[in-house]
Amino acid sequence: MPAFQPTADQFRAFRDDPHDGPIAQVNLLKFRVKAAYKPTDPEHDTEETGAAAYQRYADAFGVAAAEVGGTCLLMGTTERYFIGQGDWDAVMIMQFPNRKAFITTLNHETYQDMHRHRDAGLLAQELITTRPSIPE
Amino acid sequence: MTTIQPTPEQVQAFLGRPNDAPMAMVNLLKFKETATYEAGTPEAAENLTGWEAYQRYGAAVTPLLDDIGAKTLYAGPTNGMMIGEGDWDMVAIVEYPNRALMMQMGTSEAYQALHYHRAAGLAHQLLIDTTKIA
Repeated sequence: MPAFQPTADQFRAFRDDPHDGPIAQVNLLKFRVKAAYKPTDPEHDTEETGAAAYQRYADAFGVAAAEVGGTCLLMGTTERYFIGQGDWDAVMIMQFPNRKAFITTLNHETYQDMHRHRDAGLLAQELITTRPSIPE
Repeated sequence: MTTIQPTPEQVQAFLGRPNDAPMAMVNLLKFKETATYEAGTPEAAENLTGWEAYQRYGAAVTPLLDDIGAKTLYAGPTNGMMIGEGDWDMVAIVEYPNRALMMQMGTSEAYQALHYHRAAGLAHQLLIDTTKIA
């Protein structure tokens, strides 16, 4: 089933994991063809791709994440699958000093404002939490 | 369908891309519980996990990546799915200067000689060819 948000259980498992070191959040992203801004959004009448709308979210998220030491390791747009089959449009990896820093970014004062770009641009995603072993 | 290799069509499509752009290859990896080395190989007696066999592959392939100017941008074991329901053990991102060098490495004798670690450890994977925009 296509997913868009963590379930309550997934969020709790992430928050309560005792691991306290760096994490890298691996986002597998599927965009809407056209951005779907709500009638109340300032961008409602603009003609924009879902990818462009999501990029606005990614840019704003990167600024908020930087305040707590978050960095973007990769934003890559899919050319094709070389092994296996799938349908993701892009892969984005954000590294954080720890999981608390990630949650702080989700609670940043600008998050509610930036979130409309994610809603408008994103069709589905997976988010894999990983622990960096390279680079150290 | 689970696989550890590209199909001939995937190789053709890959080679059909312009050859000069750096690319970030995104590996989503699932390992075997127990490594499957062929009987008679020294490793067969070691009772390695799939994870351990793949780490040997990773260590052995690193000098070959260095030789062609490829670089591991990121590698890390998974620590839970926060959104969605995938089942991966590790994510690794390798940046190659271009696809010709990647194919050259992948078909070299040196690579073929170390590939048995990958075959022993890897259950299946996705390899997504991306253009790094940030």
